[in-house]
Amino acid sequence: MISGKGITKTFKQRGSVLAGRTVQALRGVDFQIPKGGAASFIGESGCGKTTLGRIIAGLETYDTGEITIDGVSVTSPKDRLFRKVQMIHQDPYSALNPTRTIHQTLRAPLELRAKQTRRPKSWIDERAHEVLGLVGLDPASVIGRYPHQLSGGMRQRVVIARALTVDPEMLVADEATSMIDVSLRLGILALLKDLRERLGVSVLFITHDVATARYIGDDGELYVIYRGQVIERGSVDTIISDPVHPYTQSLLSAIPVLHGLEEPGPEPVVPTEALDAGHEDAGCLFARRCPFRTEECETGRPVLGLTEGVPQEHACFHPKSRDVVATHLGRV
Amino acid sequence: MSIVLESTSATIRRNFWNGVWRVMKRKPSRMVGVVIILGFAFMGVFGPMFFPAQLPDNPDAITQPPSWEHWFGTDPQGRDVLALVITGSRYVLLSAAVTALITVVLGTAIGLYSGFKRGRWDTVLMRITDMKLTIPGLPLLLVLATVWKFGNPIQMGLVLGLLGWGGVARAVRAQTLSLRERGFIEAARGLGLSTTHIIGKELLPSMAPYIAMNMLIAVTGAVYAQVGLFFLGVLPYESDNWGVMLNLAVFQAGAMITPTALGYLLAPLLAILLLTLGIVLVVDAMDEIFNPRLREE
Amino acid sequence: MAKQAPGVRIDGLTVVYKTPAGELPAVRDVSMELAAGTITGIVGESGSGKSTLAFSLLNAVQPPGRISAGSVEIDDLGNVVSFQGEQLRKARGAHIGYVFQAAQNSLNPLKTVGKQLLDLGRSHGVEDLRGLVREAKELLGRMGLDGARVLDSHQHELSGGMRQRVGIMLALVLNAHLVVLDEPTTALDMITQATILRIIREVHAERGLTTMIITHDIGVVAEVADRLAVMYGGRIVEQGPTREVLADPQHPYTRGLIRAIPRLTGDINQAQALPGRPPTLTTVPKEGCVFRERCSLRMDVCDTVDPEAIPHGDRIIACHAVKVKEHA
Repeated sequence: MISGKGITKTFKQRGSVLAGRTVQALRGVDFQIPKGGAASFIGESGCGKTTLGRIIAGLETYDTGEITIDGVSVTSPKDRLFRKVQMIHQDPYSALNPTRTIHQTLRAPLELRAKQTRRPKSWIDERAHEVLGLVGLDPASVIGRYPHQLSGGMRQRVVIARALTVDPEMLVADEATSMIDVSLRLGILALLKDLRERLGVSVLFITHDVATARYIGDDGELYVIYRGQVIERGSVDTIISDPVHPYTQSLLSAIPVLHGLEEPGPEPVVPTEALDAGHEDAGCLFARRCPFRTEECETGRPVLGLTEGVPQEHACFHPKSRDVVATHLGRV
Repeated sequence: MSIVLESTSATIRRNFWNGVWRVMKRKPSRMVGVVIILGFAFMGVFGPMFFPAQLPDNPDAITQPPSWEHWFGTDPQGRDVLALVITGSRYVLLSAAVTALITVVLGTAIGLYSGFKRGRWDTVLMRITDMKLTIPGLPLLLVLATVWKFGNPIQMGLVLGLLGWGGVARAVRAQTLSLRERGFIEAARGLGLSTTHIIGKELLPSMAPYIAMNMLIAVTGAVYAQVGLFFLGVLPYESDNWGVMLNLAVFQAGAMITPTALGYLLAPLLAILLLTLGIVLVVDAMDEIFNPRLREE
Repeated sequence: MAKQAPGVRIDGLTVVYKTPAGELPAVRDVSMELAAGTITGIVGESGSGKSTLAFSLLNAVQPPGRISAGSVEIDDLGNVVSFQGEQLRKARGAHIGYVFQAAQNSLNPLKTVGKQLLDLGRSHGVEDLRGLVREAKELLGRMGLDGARVLDSHQHELSGGMRQRVGIMLALVLNAHLVVLDEPTTALDMITQATILRIIREVHAERGLTTMIITHDIGVVAEVADRLAVMYGGRIVEQGPTREVLADPQHPYTRGLIRAIPRLTGDINQAQALPGRPPTLTTVPKEGCVFRERCSLRMDVCDTVDPEAIPHGDRIIACHAVKVKEHA
């Protein structure tokens, strides 16, 4: 179980010494990801989802709040407990050292692991073959190669294999398929799903594409993040079929419709143009772009919580389910 | 299993040298460069052995123009110029090699540490580097020459090396700063690998072409610097070397006005030119040698 | 001079790249027509040759590549493959606008957008620079931006979506009527992507353009394109009206590609990855069908004979299996 409470993070923007602006990347985020569970952080770039993922993976510090891994509070990124969370980066091309073979890449963490667990040296190579097998690669043909000799999809599998060398409890996949060829993306998603089922590794998906989040499993939880705040949270299926926050609705409306194969949703929500994000609002963070805003939205800020008649948590004064998702015409 | 392991790392090493050979063969110019550099190395190591410690002089044949007997003529004491170039090469090349080694080792170590650790250490080290960069090398050498005789090439190399690492340190630091943001470095940190591993096994190999290039270029720089110093005559003529030869050719044999002394002037110049050429031709291959993608293609 | 949307006919186009293993085709024997005033989408994965195809439309294939056969006939302009030097430079910009892949990063970071606009105008000998600026402001305004402010901005002051719009503006400002957009929405967020796609659609209709969109994302094409061509290993394996192709894909690759996209509704387990991986320039089979390694309908004939592109109604499909089905 990995959970966080009230996580905040502020970045200082570089600029002149005197007028250094600060950006609130996270404004008190709570999350719980059970052992073997799945969760997805959804939102536009700059919403804080990647920062949160990096904090959870121990690659970034946080300002206030508390993160606990299996009940133990962890603060410093140097804490060894953070090694239980492994990040799968977006770019499989820079995630592997081009001057090292796959064997060398896997050996380094395995040697460390062998020392920690007092395993014999022979275990290292066996395990290297094993993790490559786990991610669906043929160990014999891959192990002696350099990254440039592998396709993007294969590299991403090697990256996942490397993460598995430390027996992680959770994998954080940050847009892990966006730089991979379309026909191979699903293979990576399927692999993560499969690892979850077989090894009991929990998976945290960070993406701007809600449809990929759906692939990870029906028991997964969806966190929709906007400007550092979770604005809707619930099970994947509930949020896709009955989103109540206008921002979630605009995200879902923006997914391209495969005309001919699908029928667009009848009530698409198109947000007004994104305005200067540097401006701090007193009210709802989404109010300026929200087509349904009222006076109330501009003065008070809604907090994430449950209201009557809505199964999922949300942060909206006027929650209303809208039919925005394209429907499948039932072919292929 | 461990036998399998050793054999794989041995295979990688063998593949590396096979790759280097392939890269060198790709362009004939690189082979020429290698031959030139090997030639100079041979000359520096074994050259002086073929000649007596005191080269025979000949008062009857002073400042001769090039001939079959003396390819580059003779100096004002009647010694063979080619023999002078060869016996003088050891000092020049040895001190240049020492300079290059110190420049690169010191520069890389400081740059890597500074760029990787960042924070306080970075600030301190970079201030030192900046201070060092502002010390003008030539006046310092002049001052040092009054107390030190630089008779020993290693001394010479040491001083030039200690004066020269600043630029490399700055450049390596910049490279480190950009590399440390790469995914594979972050992944290594996330996996809990040691700093020694990250710097030695992940960062350093990625910078190898860059460091090798700097090293080769530092050799030419060092040759110019010390030949220049000796030519200017600011260092005492304690030994035969190319700089001293140039100085004598111009100021003693009057090579600028006496055509017969032209060989005396040209021989050391040609040697420097040839060495530079060899290095420039080889530098071109560094990227391909250390980048597995370019190497294997 | 009132220009009209030109039609484009690509015939038997082959583009080869010089490699240590000899000259290899990145685009092989491609024939297609862009009807005047339509939006055509080219879909393909990395290495499919889609970007090379886009470059050949401007006869701008960079060495070591070259167009080795075929023609690209553009109305009112002629066969651009035979163009050279100055003639070619003038055609680009004035007749053909090109929005680069990752237009987000293709602006000069040291100059304001306005300066770059003026540079563009001067290099094409535009005399009325004021008119050019006015036109640019109008275009930017049309795309929902504050024209004056954008022209005064440097690249780093603009967001990804804004830069993309600046790219589109620069492609259109010289009054080009044939526009090529290479991956116009890669690296943009869903909402920004939807906005850009809407703008592309609207500007296309208002200005009377012929538009070609290169993308790896079938969703992008589904949203904007009238016609769709699917490329694989340098060949167009299937082309036809977008809705028809999406509703009933014929080529096994098209079918696999559509099935590989996770959707919001329907049974999630129907989504399936294609086995194998896309070929690169050096691994494309020299003879036989380019897709056979990953194909579920592979037959003996696929190993030796490259299937011809055969019209089936509005569609053109290059597959032996589809032909067999027709005859059966």
